[in-house]
Amino acid sequence: MSAPLRVYEPFKAGLPPLIPYWKSLFSRRTFISEYSRSELREQHFDSVFGQLWLVLNPLLLSGVYFLLIVIIGGASDGARYAHLTATLFLFYLVANSLTGGVKSITAGQRLILNTAFPRIMLPISAVVIAVFKFFPTLIIFFIIRIVLGLPFSWQMLWAIPIFFITLLLALALAITISCINVYFRDISSFLPYLTRTLLYLSPILYEASALKPQLKALEALNPLFPILDSWSQALVHGIAPQSSSLLTGLAWAFGVFLIGTYFFLSREREFAVRL
Amino acid sequence: MALTFSYQGSVNLPSASNSHKTNEIAVSVRGLGLTYTTVIDRRPTFKARVKSLGRGLKQTRIIRALDDVNIDIEYGQVLGVIGVNGAGKSSMMRVIAGIIPPSQGRIEVFGSVSTLLALGVGFNPSMSGRDNVFLGGLAAGMSRQEIESHFQEIADFSELGEAIDAPMRTYSSGMFSRLAFSVAATVRPDILIVDEALSTGDAKFKQKSLNRIKELRSDDRALILVSHAMATLRDVCNDIAWLHKGKLVQRGAPDATIDAYQEFLQLGKSAAIDEDV
Repeated sequence: MSAPLRVYEPFKAGLPPLIPYWKSLFSRRTFISEYSRSELREQHFDSVFGQLWLVLNPLLLSGVYFLLIVIIGGASDGARYAHLTATLFLFYLVANSLTGGVKSITAGQRLILNTAFPRIMLPISAVVIAVFKFFPTLIIFFIIRIVLGLPFSWQMLWAIPIFFITLLLALALAITISCINVYFRDISSFLPYLTRTLLYLSPILYEASALKPQLKALEALNPLFPILDSWSQALVHGIAPQSSSLLTGLAWAFGVFLIGTYFFLSREREFAVRL
Repeated sequence: MALTFSYQGSVNLPSASNSHKTNEIAVSVRGLGLTYTTVIDRRPTFKARVKSLGRGLKQTRIIRALDDVNIDIEYGQVLGVIGVNGAGKSSMMRVIAGIIPPSQGRIEVFGSVSTLLALGVGFNPSMSGRDNVFLGGLAAGMSRQEIESHFQEIADFSELGEAIDAPMRTYSSGMFSRLAFSVAATVRPDILIVDEALSTGDAKFKQKSLNRIKELRSDDRALILVSHAMATLRDVCNDIAWLHKGKLVQRGAPDATIDAYQEFLQLGKSAAIDEDV
């Protein structure tokens, strides 16, 4: 008799064997791309008006916030608007990952109850969708930048590593919150308040350098602070970001990713009975 | 077969041709026990947790779903699983499919498994039937090409016509289960698990699916049917396992086991149950 294809035995607490898990996840990578494509198609982002909305929505948002800045903060200039759009668009990458990720496990209930697969695919797909929504806004930002006549420089390439740090953080947050939502379903109702608070704590409506010294503590508590600051330095001002900001951002992203993924992987075998 | 096994590490490999012989072991279940904690609330919330703080209200309930179950399933066998609601039938199917890990015991699966547990396809109701079939297949570890090669057959068998491209929330429950059954039966797994999916189709489709099941049986695959339709089980199964409160009460020839079960249902108890409970 041949060896069994699969053996199921009681699992120990903690992580599943990581190498088979990774293999099984990697063999299903088409699911992730296909899922995000279907999801985007379902939200009509494959049509002309859908894509127009994808661009129009952040433009309107940045317009509204710029109005707010002008009214509250007095006169403003082009660089300020560029800073606002650049950071706001990157912020929405993280915020969309959170809103997409929070319900990814509970919405995939049917699939989880009926198919054996690495559950982490679902929050990963949510982040991929957020990235697809982010790219058109990046193009818009560059158009704005050209119209405003801001100079280009090689230092702007720093945006690439910053983007990957943001992506890691977005993934980490999506994984963590999708798992929390299985146990506390009302976390998705708290989420709008959470993202709104995060928006105001981040250097989006103001520049990081304009923050009052007595509020500097906020900087340490917000993982997005060093990332958004570096992003604006590189993309808007065309100067190399401080390495301390980059490292702090990376440390945050990596820390949340490790904790969140550990939490998720050690819990995911229980999802089927918790849904 | 070479093509099928190129995807290492995935569970539900469909194989186009069956290489297994009659009476070869398909699934071996040894000393299976399953205990899990489930939430009492339908929707566990942070608010409810905070409110019940200090009041000592229990949020979770421990369920002993399966208790020392031993079953061998062979190729060429059609095993019917019967039992009252909450007997642990679906739990056992999920453990065999690798969806829930067992608490005790060991399960060995010698082949690819396709599950149709309580209608698996259609997890995203706002997407079309086509998208759902592809996503379900990809999640189960099939490749895009494999699904594409089966898709026409799935669509034809389900008789959904143009509705296959409509969002699944517009489907009736019958259409839903027709698509689900078509997927599970078309990919020709070595081991097919069907959990109460035959009951919602119309008479014509029911007949068609029964024929397909018989076809798979003659093809030396292993089938596990969970159902309350005793007449159907008598017709297609060549073996019946009766579960009650997580324990295997009786296993044997369809007529004898179903008769015993039906007698038990009417009397409310039987010697076989009284011994253990």
